[in-house]
Amino acid sequence: MGIRWQHIALWLAFIVFMLALPELVSKGTLRTIIFANFLAIFAISWDVLSGRTGYISFGHPFLVGIGAYTSAILSYRFGFPIAASIPLAVIATMIGGTLFFLPALRIRGSYFALVTLAFMELMYQLVQVIRPDLTGGTRGMSGIETITRGAVNNYYLSFSLMIIIALAMWLVMKTRLGTALSAIGMNEESVRGSGLDTTKLKLAAFMIAAFIAGLGGAFYVHYLGSIAPRALFDINFLFTIIVAALIGGASTIIGPMIGAFFLTFLLEYLRPVLPGAERYFIYGGIALILYMYQPKGIYEVAKQGWSRLRAARAGAGP
Amino acid sequence: MSYPLELKDVVKRFGGLTATNHMSFEVNDGESLGLIGPNGAGKTTIFSLIMGEHRQTSGEILCNGEDISSLPTYARIGRGVCRTYQIPRPFSEMDVLENIRLGLMPNNLWQMLTRNPDRYREIELALSVGFSEDDLHRHPAELSMGDLRKLELARTLATDPSIMLLDEVFAGLTAGEIAQIAELINKKRAEGMTLIIVSHDLRSLEPLIDRAIAMNHGSIVAEGSFAKVMADPDVRASYLGGE
Ligand SMILES: Nc1ncnc2c1ncn2[C@@H]1O[C@H](COP(=O)(O)OP(=O)(O)OP(=O)(O)O)[C@@H](O)[C@H]1O
Ligand SMILES: [Mg+2]
Repeated sequence: MGIRWQHIALWLAFIVFMLALPELVSKGTLRTIIFANFLAIFAISWDVLSGRTGYISFGHPFLVGIGAYTSAILSYRFGFPIAASIPLAVIATMIGGTLFFLPALRIRGSYFALVTLAFMELMYQLVQVIRPDLTGGTRGMSGIETITRGAVNNYYLSFSLMIIIALAMWLVMKTRLGTALSAIGMNEESVRGSGLDTTKLKLAAFMIAAFIAGLGGAFYVHYLGSIAPRALFDINFLFTIIVAALIGGASTIIGPMIGAFFLTFLLEYLRPVLPGAERYFIYGGIALILYMYQPKGIYEVAKQGWSRLRAARAGAGP
Repeated sequence: MSYPLELKDVVKRFGGLTATNHMSFEVNDGESLGLIGPNGAGKTTIFSLIMGEHRQTSGEILCNGEDISSLPTYARIGRGVCRTYQIPRPFSEMDVLENIRLGLMPNNLWQMLTRNPDRYREIELALSVGFSEDDLHRHPAELSMGDLRKLELARTLATDPSIMLLDEVFAGLTAGEIAQIAELINKKRAEGMTLIIVSHDLRSLEPLIDRAIAMNHGSIVAEGSFAKVMADPDVRASYLGGE
């Protein structure tokens, strides 16, 4: 009972703090947080598929890319209003993604990861050669309509989107569907032996992941106002998503959020010290050490620290 | 006349190895059939074929007269056939009740999403296989082999089967645990459950079965009452040679 109230209070305090944040920090920091919000969305999406079912996707930028490109092309080339282009982009991500991933759902382990990686690379190449008049080819597009202007507004928008997605996923994962998806990650044969169609379950996980990635990708492109293939279909972007989910705590909702903020700020604070790509080297090292120390991620470290604190306090009491 | 389960001339080859060699047998409604044979005889393979975890090379598997040979596993479970595994396969990061929850889930995404788990039924199943109240929130790592087998039985029972295939239910158990599981099996028999039981522990198996089939090298060696099968010279030879 007490713990539940503490949870709700903690969440309320967090939301109030996040809403007050534009008053407390600089515009620059706010822009960093905006990126963290989007990264959290992508990491939650990755976690729904890979964190739960254990099917490691190396192709998430592929999904984010379909969402971003579809919405960008519809609004920039064909004059669709954003209110129409974003939902269409989400549908496109779910359809396009499913077609590509369907064969991948029949294979497992590292093969699955490699096939999804291949899709990302394929997409990178295709975007540049097929209909460059639409995609903008290698240079991409700029001057894409934005939803709102300014760091503060974009911060509120991205934070609301992230929180809504996180809450929705928290509710979904609490149901038996969430339990079944996690069970696939523990022992797929036993899920089948319990009378469940695992292909259908994996497809559901994939559709949910594609929905979130497409939604995030579309909002992201209308925040940036520009898009380029190398920035999206990029191995560094891919690993940032995966590491955010793993380092924060896979198979939870709050984990990928924590991981996204941790990584974004780590990269940001390393920037003045290490301006080049070496940054990724350092952050890779830090992620690895953290991961080896606690494979369940920062969330688990925090939880254990919290319970130790409580135990210590209870012990010190009269 | 159709049987709850019938195998017709079933063959299964793994590469050059014939694990099931033209096997034909049937189980009667409410009957408890013992399937015995030395290591590698092909007992577990029969279960995998019946469940559709492996596909037979040739032959037919019928369930109540319907050919289920091409159905996926979940569809066979939907028709009331379910098995336990020789090596228990629990969900390692779930407690006893959550493990049972998987067996109770309908194979319907919408219902999984919108309907709450039936806590009462989960607890009822856990207690029915012999778990105590204290065990309900234990994780597989904290359970004994006997408890893991109970968990397998509970998750299998949760799918509401009319035919259960039990693979080595007594392996690795204490005498007390064997008695407990034997009692549970007898209870299910009394309720009319059709059973195929595989066990190396013949003494524990004998009182639980109506009929026995002895097999070796993927073929039936002898069939009939337990006493008759055990008296068969070929069965004796295969056991002496096999172990
Ligand atoms: N997936 C597989 N691939 C190749 N060979 C297999 C496979 N499964 C079983 N076999 C082989 O088929 C034969 C029968 O195996 P099976 O597991 O059915 O025997 P069993 O009677 O259950 O033995 P045990 O008493 O040891 O459990 C064995 O020779 C085994 O090595
Ligand atoms: Mg076996």
